[in-house]
Amino acid sequence: MNYSKTLGLVSTGIKMKELSLNILDVAENSVKAGASLTQILLTEEGDVLTLEIVDDGCGMSEDVVRSVTDPFYTTRTTRKVGMGIPLLKLACEQTGGKLTITSVTQEENPAEHGTHVTATFNKNHIDFTPLGDVSSSILTLIQGHPDTDFLFRHQIDGRVVELDTRELREVLEDVPLNSYDVMRWIGGNLQEQYEELSDDGHSGEE
Amino acid sequence: MIALLVKELLSHGFEAVSLPDGEREIDGVYIGDLLSWVMGRAQMDNAWITIMTNVNVIAVASLADTSCVILAEGVEMPEDIVQTALEKEVNILRSSKPIYETALQLAELIS
Repeated sequence: MNYSKTLGLVSTGIKMKELSLNILDVAENSVKAGASLTQILLTEEGDVLTLEIVDDGCGMSEDVVRSVTDPFYTTRTTRKVGMGIPLLKLACEQTGGKLTITSVTQEENPAEHGTHVTATFNKNHIDFTPLGDVSSSILTLIQGHPDTDFLFRHQIDGRVVELDTRELREVLEDVPLNSYDVMRWIGGNLQEQYEELSDDGHSGEE
Repeated sequence: MIALLVKELLSHGFEAVSLPDGEREIDGVYIGDLLSWVMGRAQMDNAWITIMTNVNVIAVASLADTSCVILAEGVEMPEDIVQTALEKEVNILRSSKPIYETALQLAELIS
């Protein structure tokens, strides 16, 4: 996979044929739910890729959780919410994987609430959608929402690429995360981490 | 040029799966199976040829406002999804031909 394009930050228009763009879509829902921290966790073990998007946003009731996989629920209320979850569900089920969503609303538990989306994929299935450029998705998220935090962790057979905006914020103090230099640094840092990962003789590619 | 209506396809070997609005005009064709891709590219009033048959097809057709979905290769759409299509007023036709031949046939009918 080519991570060198990572600095092509500005959204490259509609090119939703990779999982990374699906991730972007679902993570945007977390931000909209008022999350202060959104975690994007990718775990590759053998043939299985697990994607988790975990947020501490307002959460959803059981009824809503049931209906978000229905494309008409989302398109009906606000057309802008998009088809993030229905398409993610389709993408993972196409490979024999599955999508699960658990959620705790703020009313249910004021101290600990939020939504946990888990999608599993069988990477060797012929209909597996390539992961694509996840770094760009992460950068796009940070750029668009510099005041909320993101934790990105991509584990490939035990090796890890990680970025935590909370750590950056501590170092940067008042410098906005979406300033040009910071974005550049993040892009370069992720690229470096991925390069190290593949230099280790392990494939960082699908 | 006389516009081609969705219902007119029925006399050209296409079968109605869901036809709530046969009067819609077809002014072009879009082909694709990757729904997220189709969603941003199919134009209003296109006939959209696909082999996908899950409920998201109905949502994409509805969002893109295509004039009809054409299922190629004679693929079957589950009954509950046909019901959804009727509720959401999405036209669905079926052709037993492969995608390319279906497209050729439409090209001839549209011109």
